[in-house]
Amino acid sequence: MNAYKLEVRFTIMMSVLLLLAGNVALIFSIFPVNGMLFGFPIMYIIPILSGWFGILFLTIVASKIGNHIDEKIEQANEQGDPSLEQIEGFTKKKKNYEGA
Amino acid sequence: MGEEAWQLSNPFLGIAAIIVTFILFYVVGYISNRKSSSVTDLYVAGASIGPLTNGLAMASTYMSLATFLGITALILQLQVPFIMLWIQLILSIPLITIIYGTSLRRMGAFSPTHFIRERYGLSASIIAALFMILVSLMYALGQMIGIALAFETVLGIPYLTGLIFGGLVIVGYVTLGGMAGASNNAAIQMVIIALMFIVPLAAIMKAVGGSGWFFPPLLYSDMVPAMLEAMPNFFDYQFSPKWYVSLIGLTIGSLGLPHLAMRIYTASSLKSARTAMVWFAFIIGLVFSATYAMGFVGVYATETQGVAISAADADKLTLILNLVYNPEWVTALVIAGAISAGLSTLSGNLLAIGALLSQDIVTVLKPNLYVKTRLKLGYIAIFTGGIISILLAINPPAFLVVSILWAFGLAGVTNAPLIIVGVWWKEANKFGAIAASVIGGALYIIVSPFVFPTIVLTGHSVTDGMGLSGAMLAIPVSFILLIVVSYVTNRIPKLSTMLTTKADHILIERIHGWKDIHPRRYNSTIGAAITVAFFTAIAVWAIMPWNM
Repeated sequence: MNAYKLEVRFTIMMSVLLLLAGNVALIFSIFPVNGMLFGFPIMYIIPILSGWFGILFLTIVASKIGNHIDEKIEQANEQGDPSLEQIEGFTKKKKNYEGA
Repeated sequence: MGEEAWQLSNPFLGIAAIIVTFILFYVVGYISNRKSSSVTDLYVAGASIGPLTNGLAMASTYMSLATFLGITALILQLQVPFIMLWIQLILSIPLITIIYGTSLRRMGAFSPTHFIRERYGLSASIIAALFMILVSLMYALGQMIGIALAFETVLGIPYLTGLIFGGLVIVGYVTLGGMAGASNNAAIQMVIIALMFIVPLAAIMKAVGGSGWFFPPLLYSDMVPAMLEAMPNFFDYQFSPKWYVSLIGLTIGSLGLPHLAMRIYTASSLKSARTAMVWFAFIIGLVFSATYAMGFVGVYATETQGVAISAADADKLTLILNLVYNPEWVTALVIAGAISAGLSTLSGNLLAIGALLSQDIVTVLKPNLYVKTRLKLGYIAIFTGGIISILLAINPPAFLVVSILWAFGLAGVTNAPLIIVGVWWKEANKFGAIAASVIGGALYIIVSPFVFPTIVLTGHSVTDGMGLSGAMLAIPVSFILLIVVSYVTNRIPKLSTMLTTKADHILIERIHGWKDIHPRRYNSTIGAAITVAFFTAIAVWAIMPWNM
């Protein structure tokens, strides 16, 4: 279940972090801040910078962790748990999708 | 400077720029389309596109005419709150990729509706496809309005003539091009569009006295003191936190956009799709930031430089700034760039309509159709969708962005919950899915001002028109219905015989990459209960007074 838990936690955490980075204005609308940064009002420039570079940073992290989780799931599949039911018709179903 | 009719004095410049741009796109489309012989090729280009090309294509599909014309118009109208609204739209591809894009790609689905069909069955998928066609048409409507405005400015012709002429040219291109042409084109278009937007913006900034013109997206702080003096409330947030919460409805809406999700499936591998997401974030962040700068400069010009722009001309702000501050040939290039932006998004919309109608409705109802007939049906659907969007644009809403954002909300209500919950919760079933999309979709349409103008949540025309208030109510209702109806119907023995529970469990395990079934995976009742409680609170908040 480790890879599963990692996948679920990663998806929830990363979605929340992305939503926060893209919605800094919501936080400022609740907790207003005065002052200037780089010549702009803080409540203007921080959401813009976070909405570009913050998101960019998070996508890089998400890309790396996503690939890592794929490997973990693949490893778990290879180790296999004999107590679990194997998916039947895996290949057949896949073929159907490709032909659709 | 008084109000005037804004158009190129030499229309041949504009026509030449448009023709050269189109020839370039047609050539690339023709070369790449020679390889497109199957249905899969038509829609997802054989899933063979590299990460940078795909990232550019994602950005190009997303960066519609709204970026060129619509955003700046609403920055002029609403100032900073609209910039804050737009910022979170960058989350679309990253969230799609993380939450469900890679899962659906692993499944081999080339549209979200395809997933809904496999997950919830035919009835739910046809309902979803019908809503998605409406979403794509409303999205295409915004592009058509922009294209008509661009041709109006180039040729000095009436809006309606520009709409019919420009609309038919573009619908013809998309019908002949297919997604293979569109994907390769979209990457080239993205580069051209970005240059055609940012370089003229630099010239405008220089003309109005900005010293940071060499990097316009971020370096305009020297103009801030003059702006504050001329318009002290420009940077005000204006609205309550509730309004800013409602913006998340647009983010959820972007997760349900059919033409955007299709870009994930054109990637050559999951790793490639994730790298494309990074490129997307970089490119779209650059272009969006430039758009905010253009909006800022537009308001700056009207407030400090005496440039008068009538309410009817708001959607032309970007073009007008170019006409005022740049040589005509530059404006001609900007118009060609705007039309390219509309073209790539419209091609995405129309191809989604083609796929929805031919693959997700007709082929499902008549599975024995020949492949060639299906391909033909796709082309007919693409063309018909284009014509309908032209007809809808004859009597457009006040701002072109309004119809686009309304479409986001509808996608968020009728499509996104079905995909998100369907991928992550095994208990979700077809009864919940049908209840969620039909009741949620109907609720969203009823509270939007376009059908019953008196039944609205805020009374603030732009907030209701963009679907912000409607989405804040209908998206939670849709999630709640999906979860509660599924949970209840799974426990009614008479209904359980009509469900494909075991096949659903296999599907969910498989699309997450598992080769075995574990009963505890993707099956949390506590998680579902928390989601219902959270969305109930949001829905109740949405129907309380907005005080706007």
